[in-house]
Amino acid sequence: MNSVGEACADMKREYDQCFSRWFAEKFLKADCSGDPCTDLFKRYQQGVQKAIKEKEIPIEGLEFMGHGKEKPE
Amino acid sequence: MRVWSSEHVFGHPWDTVIKAAMRKYPNPMNPSVVGVDVLERSVDSRGRLHSHRLLSTEWGLPGLVRAILGTSRTLTYIREHSIVDPVGKKMELCSTNITLTNWVSVSERLVYTPHPEDPGRTVLTQEAVITVKGISLGSYLESLMANTISSNAKKVLIAWGGWLPPADHTHMWPPP
Repeated sequence: MNSVGEACADMKREYDQCFSRWFAEKFLKADCSGDPCTDLFKRYQQGVQKAIKEKEIPIEGLEFMGHGKEKPE
Repeated sequence: MRVWSSEHVFGHPWDTVIKAAMRKYPNPMNPSVVGVDVLERSVDSRGRLHSHRLLSTEWGLPGLVRAILGTSRTLTYIREHSIVDPVGKKMELCSTNITLTNWVSVSERLVYTPHPEDPGRTVLTQEAVITVKGISLGSYLESLMANTISSNAKKVLIAWGGWLPPADHTHMWPPP
């Protein structure tokens, strides 16, 4: 599946693979140990943010906090 | 105002369905989604995973509809927020278009929960609301049908340029 930013397709794929593994093997089993995908997500997000600005996609009310825990509900 | 809803039962346990749902795109049932990006992801204080995603879709609007709308744009962006509760076994997704909002708003909500009588199965409930220029589509259709001689809903839907799927279609978004 493509990314909105063509240049970050590879980083997206790496991040997606990391997330899918963590989601299935840790998160769904209520394993709260560390999230291994934070760095990958940061790199991927740089490309996405750039593409969103370039394409002027109207994303409102969303700060790019990246990956985080204990975010307020 | 709820315009369309459906319920579907998968013959798999909730965990299996959710893993597949998170990888839903590409989805052969919904080939219009051409891009998916995660904008934000976090776990809240209740242990629920929140994901905000940007979906790029090709609407494939019929030529007549595009001509009426005066637009040649076919790429539309949708914002999706999902919440996965691994303990309560509930996944909820809400999505809405963030472009073409001048003339249409399509909001969809999906909820995946274990079947109440069989943990080996999963229930998906979907509902969607369409609003065209501030008028609920339901009201529009209601008034249209009231004014027409024919009470055949399919003819009305075809006159809309094939926007709405047949009654037994289980995937609403994007419009075919």
